[in-house]
Amino acid sequence: MRGALTLKPSYYEALKRLTLELAGVNLGSDHTFLVETRLSGLAEREGYDSLSTMIEELFTSGQTRLAVQIVSALVERDMHFFRDPKSFEHLTETVLPALHEARGGGRIRILSFGCASGQEAYGVAMRVMELADRLPNLKIDIIGVDYPSQALERAKEGRYTHFEVQRGLPVQDLVQHFTRDNEDWVIKPALRHAVEFKEMHLLSSLESLGQFHAVMFRGALPHYSSSAQVRVLRGLANLVQEFGYLILGSDETLNNINYGFDKVYGKSGLYRKREDEIVEPEPDPNVKQPTDRKTFERTVRKKRSISG
Amino acid sequence: MKTCLIVDDSRMIRRVAGRIVKDMGFETIEAANGQEALDACLVEMPHAILLDWNMPVMDGFSFLKTLRAEKDGDKPIVLFCTSERDIDKIIEALSAGANEYIMKPFDSAIIESKFQLAGLL
Repeated sequence: MRGALTLKPSYYEALKRLTLELAGVNLGSDHTFLVETRLSGLAEREGYDSLSTMIEELFTSGQTRLAVQIVSALVERDMHFFRDPKSFEHLTETVLPALHEARGGGRIRILSFGCASGQEAYGVAMRVMELADRLPNLKIDIIGVDYPSQALERAKEGRYTHFEVQRGLPVQDLVQHFTRDNEDWVIKPALRHAVEFKEMHLLSSLESLGQFHAVMFRGALPHYSSSAQVRVLRGLANLVQEFGYLILGSDETLNNINYGFDKVYGKSGLYRKREDEIVEPEPDPNVKQPTDRKTFERTVRKKRSISG
Repeated sequence: MKTCLIVDDSRMIRRVAGRIVKDMGFETIEAANGQEALDACLVEMPHAILLDWNMPVMDGFSFLKTLRAEKDGDKPIVLFCTSERDIDKIIEALSAGANEYIMKPFDSAIIESKFQLAGLL
């Protein structure tokens, strides 16, 4: 790519502010290299002759589509298959058996929130298939949601690189669930059809997704600002049916607000929704309203003043 | 300290893999083919074996089948580490007694992940 430049500090600060406003994620103070790495590929795919040109275009034209693409690339998580095995164990040994019994064979809906390139959602589908003998007639809908991004497109296609299928994925699962396509590995149709992926702004209203019996939200919470944490967790709490589960990373906890969940004893990061509790916490003055185009445009104006 | 036998006819691969495995806390032993590896195992069985497929003298597949037939030959955890990427080859390796399978090229994240999956870390 021609003219790739080191990111100017003023651009980094502006991107940091934009990411915080649009996605509630704090990039931190010294991740210039990460930002350059993630955005250079996007700039090339979008036909810009350099990263700087793309960023200048963003802050002069105020294109919402470009802003969402950039922020999606910046907040994309480094996923791998069966990351945090303990929380997968909670799913197969506690959550699914309990829900299967409670639902009496009825469908169980599971949400992979912030699914990125889909490894978590497909991992759930693999383990569900293995439970067929233990939990007869287990019927599960698995839905993955995230910002529109190249990662989400790959999730929909179920296509992974040589390196991705070798991080966290037991070789037996590779043999059973994938076919090789030149340098890539592609999920077999039976598994791909078990998962549905949807584009969604994660800080927007989530009601259109419907209700779920379990929501997986692992490894992302610490990256959100405190106000965005409240907004996301409140939204997720209202998606979980009573006696349903919230599965955080096994080293993550709900801090000051319980959002209507009780911790499941002895299962780190696992929470169960109480009966008939509608989560309406006191308004938090630090919580911003959902970001809309006006908010984005305010950010653009701020950037214009930075760049002079 | 746990031991890992690295079997590959490429000195470069043995060096690179050896550095990664040492960083994970293993003592390493090297062999350039299946026969050398078998000789080493008959002296003392290692905890783990990182095993190439295509090598002169004795290939990795023949080594593994011979190893598993030896006394205590079921004890080492064997991870194939090879350029072979066909599903049929992977199934063949698992049938011969491999515990995990690494496709070259690899990096430290892959080696570490596969060692975890194999219960070595």
